[in-house]
Amino acid sequence: MDTKIYESEKLKEKLYYKKMDSGLKVFFIPKKGYTKQYAIFAADYGSIDNVFVPIGEKDPLKVPEGIAHFLEHKLFESPENNLFEKFSKLGANVNAYTNFNQTAYLFSSTENFFESLSLLIDFVQNPYFTDENVNKEKGIIAQEINMYQDNPGWRVFFNCLQAMYNEHPVKIDIAGTIESIQKIDKELLYKCYNTFYNPTNMVLFVIGDLAFDEILDVVEKSQKNNYEKAEEIKRILPFEDKKINKKIIEEKMMTAAPIFHIGFKDWDTGLTGEKLIKKDLVTNIILDILFGSSSTFYNDLYEEGLINTNFGGYYTGKESYGHSLIVGESKEPKKVYEKLIQLIQKPAETLLLEEDFNRIKNKTIGEFLMGLNSIEFIGNNFVDLYFTDFLLIDYLSLLEKVEYKDIIQRFNSHFTEENVVLSIINPLE
Amino acid sequence: MELSLKSEKIQIGNGINLNLVKTDKFKSNLLSFYFLRPLTKEEATKNALLPLVLKRGTDEYKTNLEIQKKLEENYGANLSLAINKRGEKHVLRFTVETVSGEYVSNKEYIYDVFNLLKSIIFNPLLEEGYFKKSYVDQEKENLKRKIESRINDKRSYAIDRCIEEMCKNERYSIYSLGNIEDLPKIDEKVLYNHYKDLIKTSPIEIFYVGHYDDNMVEYMKEMAKIERKNIISIPREQIIRGAKTKNMVYEDLNVNQGKLVLGYRTGIPYEDKLYNGLLIGSDILGGGPNSKLFKNVREKESLAYYVSSTVFKYKSIMLIDGGIEFENFEKTIDIIKEQIEEIQRGNFTMNDIEISKESLKSSTMSIKDSIFLISEYFFSQILSNDNRSLEEVLEDIDRVTKEDVVEAMSRLTLDTIYFMRNTKVMNI
Repeated sequence: MDTKIYESEKLKEKLYYKKMDSGLKVFFIPKKGYTKQYAIFAADYGSIDNVFVPIGEKDPLKVPEGIAHFLEHKLFESPENNLFEKFSKLGANVNAYTNFNQTAYLFSSTENFFESLSLLIDFVQNPYFTDENVNKEKGIIAQEINMYQDNPGWRVFFNCLQAMYNEHPVKIDIAGTIESIQKIDKELLYKCYNTFYNPTNMVLFVIGDLAFDEILDVVEKSQKNNYEKAEEIKRILPFEDKKINKKIIEEKMMTAAPIFHIGFKDWDTGLTGEKLIKKDLVTNIILDILFGSSSTFYNDLYEEGLINTNFGGYYTGKESYGHSLIVGESKEPKKVYEKLIQLIQKPAETLLLEEDFNRIKNKTIGEFLMGLNSIEFIGNNFVDLYFTDFLLIDYLSLLEKVEYKDIIQRFNSHFTEENVVLSIINPLE
Repeated sequence: MELSLKSEKIQIGNGINLNLVKTDKFKSNLLSFYFLRPLTKEEATKNALLPLVLKRGTDEYKTNLEIQKKLEENYGANLSLAINKRGEKHVLRFTVETVSGEYVSNKEYIYDVFNLLKSIIFNPLLEEGYFKKSYVDQEKENLKRKIESRINDKRSYAIDRCIEEMCKNERYSIYSLGNIEDLPKIDEKVLYNHYKDLIKTSPIEIFYVGHYDDNMVEYMKEMAKIERKNIISIPREQIIRGAKTKNMVYEDLNVNQGKLVLGYRTGIPYEDKLYNGLLIGSDILGGGPNSKLFKNVREKESLAYYVSSTVFKYKSIMLIDGGIEFENFEKTIDIIKEQIEEIQRGNFTMNDIEISKESLKSSTMSIKDSIFLISEYFFSQILSNDNRSLEEVLEDIDRVTKEDVVEAMSRLTLDTIYFMRNTKVMNI
């Protein structure tokens, strides 16, 4: 039996783990005194996995944009067509999300947790796609796409990704386009499903005032075991040049003031596990020192009326891509951009002081600890970190290990004039 | 399971209550000050501007930079200032959340953070006896831009616009951030005088959630020793029965998706025993994925990605909103009306009622897992003069009958329909 208990004294939390015979990995964090329980069942499959070798086949297949997200919608279909009703009757709140890297199915409950867990496993493991229900979904998703098209924050973000990346599928909208989803049919959906929803490519995470044994019993009874023996899934990513695609993308739409994203494309890719998460932490600390609300840059531009409290920066990265984004709203985004470029020309040692580093590190520790109050925060972050080979329970000790010298090195290699882009949404006249 | 959630209430000043909720299940503590004001055109813009200016600097921490550094040093204590509309009341909230001392081996540091909050609320940075002029000028500009950017979130903009049109002649139509037209009349003197008045005359509710001892209670009492005058009384919301305006409002904007909002008068005050029946009825109609609107508008007809129904507790109105193709305007309205009629005729099952009760009870119980929602919950109980415990609230939900739902939903009168559209791309 592959079971394990991890314990963090600093966090006062425990993590239980077991690998089932089916290959499915189950994790659990007990939360004494919590009223709610939360379960999240996720596949290592997101919008960037759009070229792969389907299970049992030899040749790579390119699938239409938006199919992972479409599949997420369609898994809620069952022959009796009453999944939502079943969850609602149990008092459980069921939902799902698809991002660049994962598809996750989840529910929160205050009662009937085990019945709901069984239902979750059951519906995710039993797809039911018909021509009719697939076609019906196209109208609904078209409205979801339209809704995002009217959202200036979403558009400025995707235009920034378009500017940074040449070929990498992270530049493609997660829901696809109204045209691309028309090409989706039930055969393609089954192909994606059979390839990526194998238990070996999934994880189940549970949190709440519960017992691990009972959870395992329910998983054992509910899960399907007749899966095709899965080999490592072959995912094909295009070659992504270091060079950025476009220096600037501007667009006009219904918005009050111009909004912008300044993106730094990460060249230091290919990392996983602790190395990747450390890079993430280091880069986010740098961004906070340089552009956070206690930075000179922020306060000077704020005084000048060039930015408002919506300004800030964050880094996000996975094995095959990564970027720092500095975002905000401004009358003159280009002026903000120029000032930022001037800033990064200065020597790292003058921009990033050790006392600032220590303060921001303290802040990052505190924010993480406060995040652990929320079972949803824990669940969603657990899954995200897990698929990059890192356990949430080790996060604080890794954070404590970050040193001042780490940030100086990273600054010099990441914040340059060659890898920076600008995306602006201007108001209509 | 945890014992029932209680708040201990102590009057610590003229119109100042301290509400304490003892719990050690969170990794943090939370302290919130709520100042209550009536929602009026005269003061709304000033109320909205105040938190922005107070956040800029205090007598002790003169700039935002100093404030932010202090917060960061203290393990990223989270400071949030907000202005919210609760029915026809305007509420200013000042909150800090700090990591519990045991996690960072420093038990006393939270007093540092409390002192900072105290300084922000009661000791603002002054220049010649008034607020610092440059701070006020900059924040007026920021507020103006904030009001203008409400168009960026089209869904909430559409809801706000429907309320504005529907409640045209009522105070509820006042936007929570106030009006751009009122800004030129406000300067550092006007705002400071309003601030002085607000500190002296507003009812104040203080909430602390987390671990505490006698020292902390003493500290809070000390903090409340401020000069007070006659405390204002805040009128209860006006309730309108039956449609008032009977509006059909179109707004032409350059958008891809139409946003439809139907505004109904319920005529049911939150004190009424039918109020829970209304909540259940609204949930059966458009609460979650099991609701009639989700099933018919979304799943059956593929007309929308989102469509839902919400009760506005304090104002006794109910809004239904959805994002649709421009051309499907009439069709969607027909389905919505038809579904409401179905409920009015009693065409729903006991199962539907059970599901909605479960959902309502579950979200009520979930409050216990969020330090912020605990204080918000008890505060809303105060706003509505509701002395029931959380358990009693749950029992009352359970008591709702089918007749209650039918009766409550039969009181609905459609008042205003708002539709955001783009005539440039419509095929009409």
